[in-house]
Amino acid sequence: MSVDDVPETVTAALADQQVEGRVCLEAGAGVGNTTAGLLAAGAERVYAVTNDADHAVTVRERVGDGNADRLVVIEADLRATPLATDGVDLVTAHGLCNVLPPVELDPIAAELTRVAKPDSRLVVDDYGVPPSGAAVNRLFTLENAAARVVDGRPALTFYPPAVLAAVFAEHGWTVERKKTLLDPVPWTGAHLDAHAEVVRGYADRLPDVVGEPLTAMAEDLVAAIGSERTGTMYNLAFRLAD
Amino acid sequence: METRALGDTGQESTVLTFGSIALNWLEQEGANQLVELVLDHGVNHFDVAPTYGDAELKLGPKLRQYRDDIFLSCKTQKREYEGAARKIDRSLDRLGIDTIDLYQIHGLEYEDELDTITADGGALDAIHEAKAAGKIDHIGLTSHGNPELILDAIDRIDDLETVMFPLNPVVAGKNDGEYDYEAVLERCESEGIGTLGIKAFAKGSWPPTDELAEADRPYANWYEPVDTPETVRERFDFAAAQGLDTVVSPGDPKLVAMVLDAASRSEGMDEARQRAVIEEARHDDSPVPEQLHH
Ligand SMILES: C[S@@+](CC[C@H](N)C(=O)[O-])C[C@H]1O[C@@H](n2cnc3c(N)ncnc32)[C@H](O)[C@@H]1O
Repeated sequence: MSVDDVPETVTAALADQQVEGRVCLEAGAGVGNTTAGLLAAGAERVYAVTNDADHAVTVRERVGDGNADRLVVIEADLRATPLATDGVDLVTAHGLCNVLPPVELDPIAAELTRVAKPDSRLVVDDYGVPPSGAAVNRLFTLENAAARVVDGRPALTFYPPAVLAAVFAEHGWTVERKKTLLDPVPWTGAHLDAHAEVVRGYADRLPDVVGEPLTAMAEDLVAAIGSERTGTMYNLAFRLAD
Repeated sequence: METRALGDTGQESTVLTFGSIALNWLEQEGANQLVELVLDHGVNHFDVAPTYGDAELKLGPKLRQYRDDIFLSCKTQKREYEGAARKIDRSLDRLGIDTIDLYQIHGLEYEDELDTITADGGALDAIHEAKAAGKIDHIGLTSHGNPELILDAIDRIDDLETVMFPLNPVVAGKNDGEYDYEAVLERCESEGIGTLGIKAFAKGSWPPTDELAEADRPYANWYEPVDTPETVRERFDFAAAQGLDTVVSPGDPKLVAMVLDAASRSEGMDEARQRAVIEEARHDDSPVPEQLHH
């Protein structure tokens, strides 16, 4: 794995952004796709923030090689990061918001705004609400049910672009451009497996009598769906007021 | 069917080129019918090679009948003067025509081949001589080799007018240099070099021969092709949307009608869908840990 292997979604989202020479914050680093994209596009520094220790390790392993001086992986909550005020030129949130419950949106928007310089840019990439007939909804619904039982919060929430635009507008961000990254979204067998794995993770924390059927249902759903092309992934590019 | 300028050759090729290798698997009567079908769809660019069995011979009769409607490209795998000169005459003879519109150095794979081709007494001398004698009209190159090597060939062959190379969603999803045919495409666009896409319909390699004997393969392609109307259409639209001047049809005659239909009815493909197709292919064989997101 290297900074060469950047998904088309990330490349397209960053295509018209000034990345070279900029200090960037990747909010919700995940497995590092956008971090890789920012580094490949010549970012001066990338702060990759995640609250998941495994993700932090994955990102370091995937893109850390040869980028020691440019990559800073930070394990922290995005509602309160250790980053300085007004230090970042470009914030990216690629696939972050759909894993955030509604109550976290505003505090995270506030924190991202605090660390961003005046006139900085923000790139938000996320999924539109999947069409009601989509088969993947069954798996996502199961995932959310498991998450609510275990954590008392949903695992996934799909926000329409207007909702995220409104949340960030409250903090001084204006949408400069909207673009469709994927249409349709290809939910491959590998993606569905990964979602079933999340269900399995929750099930492991429940008594077997509840956990085992949950896991079995997830596996059955993955087998039944196979793969599906549905919904869209969109991209919003914001600018912060001076 | 849509036509596009084939680089600066002056030729307007249909966005689908007929890969005449498909004729090799048909009797003469069937070959004639297939050529008629292809022409009925408006296709005006045919590609052939002496290495495709009897394809040149089987193309001959209809090619001669419709000579003015067909832009014919042919190829040689010979790297030295003697061999290439002989192949040009042999192809002209087997096709039964006086001029090949586009003659391509076929299957360039190694740097030292390029040295041989461009050296004194190399294939390029024979091609230039044939051009001066009116036996060929334009000069091209084909390769599924390293994109760097193709770029090198563009630098070293001054009068190169077209390049044929692989392009499909699997190739487009690989960002490492070994598969960077997009760089070739860009270079060709900027230099007015025509582009022909191959392997647009490749789904993957055939299973190993101990699992599926060569004789049992359902299609006569070098790779396993996509073979439903939807997937064929998607692959055609994808390849055409990348900006290739023309896309070469697959080698099995059974797929040609489906591809003709796709090319005739094509309405293009927007970028969000192109990305979706690439991302889907990329995840099919991604080494990256399981991911929830795109
Ligand atoms: C789906 S991943 C994002 C994918 C990633 N941006 C990429 O390009 O590969 C979501 C990430 O956000 C992190 N995350 C979710 N809520 C968070 C929070 N409140 N604070 C910090 N990180 C959070 C998750 O741990 C995970 O690493």
